[in-house]
Amino acid sequence: MAEHTTTTTPSWLLSSNVGLCPCGCIGKRTKGSFVEKTLTGGSDLLRQVMFSDDLARRSGLLQRLDPRAKLGGMLLLLIGAGLAHHLETLLATYVVVLALAGASRVPLGFFLKRVWLFVPIFTLIVVLPATLSIVTHGDVVVELWSWHGQPQGLTAQGLRSAALVVSRVAVSISLVVLVTVTTPWNRLLAGLRGLGVPRMFILVIGMAYRYIFLLLDSVTDMYEARKARTMARVKHDRTARAFVGASAGALVGKANQLSEEVHQAMVARGYRGEARVLDTLRLRRADLVALAVAVLATALMLTADRMLGR
Amino acid sequence: MHIPDGYLSPSTCAVGYAVAIPTWAIASKRVSKVVKTRNVPMLAVFSALSFLVMMFNVPIPDGTTAHAVGGAVIAICLGPWAAVIAVSVALLFQALLFGDGGVLSYGVNVVNMAIILPFVGYGIYRLIAGRTPLTSGRRVVAAAIGGYVGINAAALAAAVEFGIQPDLFKSADGTPLYSPYHLSQTIPAMAIPHLTIAGLVEAVMSAAIVAYLQRADVSRLVPSHPGIPLTEADRAPRPARTLAPARVALGFVVLMVVLSPLGLLAPGGAFGEDNPNDLNLNKLGLHAVPAGLDKYNGFWSHTLLGGYGFSSGDHADLGYILSALIGIVVVGVAILLIGLVMRAVLGRRDADREREQEPQRLG
Repeated sequence: MAEHTTTTTPSWLLSSNVGLCPCGCIGKRTKGSFVEKTLTGGSDLLRQVMFSDDLARRSGLLQRLDPRAKLGGMLLLLIGAGLAHHLETLLATYVVVLALAGASRVPLGFFLKRVWLFVPIFTLIVVLPATLSIVTHGDVVVELWSWHGQPQGLTAQGLRSAALVVSRVAVSISLVVLVTVTTPWNRLLAGLRGLGVPRMFILVIGMAYRYIFLLLDSVTDMYEARKARTMARVKHDRTARAFVGASAGALVGKANQLSEEVHQAMVARGYRGEARVLDTLRLRRADLVALAVAVLATALMLTADRMLGR
Repeated sequence: MHIPDGYLSPSTCAVGYAVAIPTWAIASKRVSKVVKTRNVPMLAVFSALSFLVMMFNVPIPDGTTAHAVGGAVIAICLGPWAAVIAVSVALLFQALLFGDGGVLSYGVNVVNMAIILPFVGYGIYRLIAGRTPLTSGRRVVAAAIGGYVGINAAALAAAVEFGIQPDLFKSADGTPLYSPYHLSQTIPAMAIPHLTIAGLVEAVMSAAIVAYLQRADVSRLVPSHPGIPLTEADRAPRPARTLAPARVALGFVVLMVVLSPLGLLAPGGAFGEDNPNDLNLNKLGLHAVPAGLDKYNGFWSHTLLGGYGFSSGDHADLGYILSALIGIVVVGVAILLIGLVMRAVLGRRDADREREQEPQRLG
């Protein structure tokens, strides 16, 4: 699929850099230091945002829809998945979500990786002990040991509960990821406004998004300078913690300064404490149809779930 | 601690939003009143900052690293109401852009990390720092303890939210529908890592930021600390503050409510609580139920909510919650009354003493 895409971000920027492998590919494998990890975290953030932006600009099914219809549909289906009591319902929903991802030209490998790493796998590990009869009482199906003559082991209820939680988590994350990677950030904000979030909050969220990258630059600069100054292995000692505190503290100072300057610039341009917007969204017929489909799908999901039993 | 979608029932998530939305409304009103038109750029930049603070890897002694939430230190730098909005926006980015924390569970995450954490952390900080000057070392310790207690309070809240799921939501055959662990499992599971690593990281981060601002640019702390002197030399003498009965009663009730989950962990029950005949007399070295206990047991049966429920036995859960609420209010009012009486008595004694001293002063 990769060769057909019209990615605007160069691919070398999106792949992890082999030459500067943070784990130290050649020689002894060491744990990444806090400096490395913060730098990698920053570049991962940029990479993820850039790739999502590229996906959102492709011409697919979901990309064409109004953000309000998408967010509304997403919320409905999330609530539906939350209320579903059966594994079958959730699996059917997951198949539909995968089909939607395909129709929106989201690469399947990326989508699966982004969803399953790391929350659902973590959830699986977390719920494993809950399959045992000591946590979830019920009918023991796989006997592992016995306690005072009572068979103990995996219970049917425990296994079903674990499968239910893991699949619900995976379906929910898939829905959110699908909507967020097919919607450019500014449209997503417009969608939030359409859902009734007050304008002041939208303004704060939109501006905060912009300043994340500016402040991230400051962080990266500080950490790269630290890395350049460090000759030996980075130690995790008192000075390291003092450095983290100082860099975060310096960031507080910068943020303070920045917010003053931004405020003055806004007032100079006529800001009087009220948020105004230029673009107005209009729901087209396709959006209404999509919303209706989401309502129907949720209703179908919950009806089917009830028919499977309580 | 970012709770993803799927762990909590939609009704729990709805409760989360029901708490978060009014808090946002109050927070935006409070912040706007203080900073006027400066609110939007200030909140925006500090939301971005709050997001980035969560990205900092804090080195801990064993060679690994961990993230801090930074809710307490943001409350110290900005005040708790601004911290509510800044941390909420940062959590929104994490939920929408990075799938860290769910969308339905966003309200609950906000309650834990953007409301409980900053308010508890800030409260502890204020309590310990008192009216010490801004450059005092006690403020660094206060920030560390504030961060530590704040994140543990948030973790406890998350543990309670997880732990009530299997009892409230299960299918007919007993299959837990959401998070399957009970309170007795979730509370230790959340408390152990937060009392050790996560709490430590939050403490280190909070203390280090406050210490840096103290030595580099203490003026940044001034707006969020009105009336606090910069150095020891600037300190003006202040009259000692007396404890208001209403404040004591409220504080006591809040403390008891916060501590009440401990009861779920404690084994056993109160001595002969339900019926003295259930007592294991041999184990206690008794031959019969004590005469007084036997006589006065069941002596009063005209209770409003007997057995923590309605007399009809309907709506058992509702009755139980109602009993708890009424109990809390009664205890609070009782403490308030004791406080009022004590103030009246002590106040009269003080007035008497003053009257006695007055002629001497005149003479």
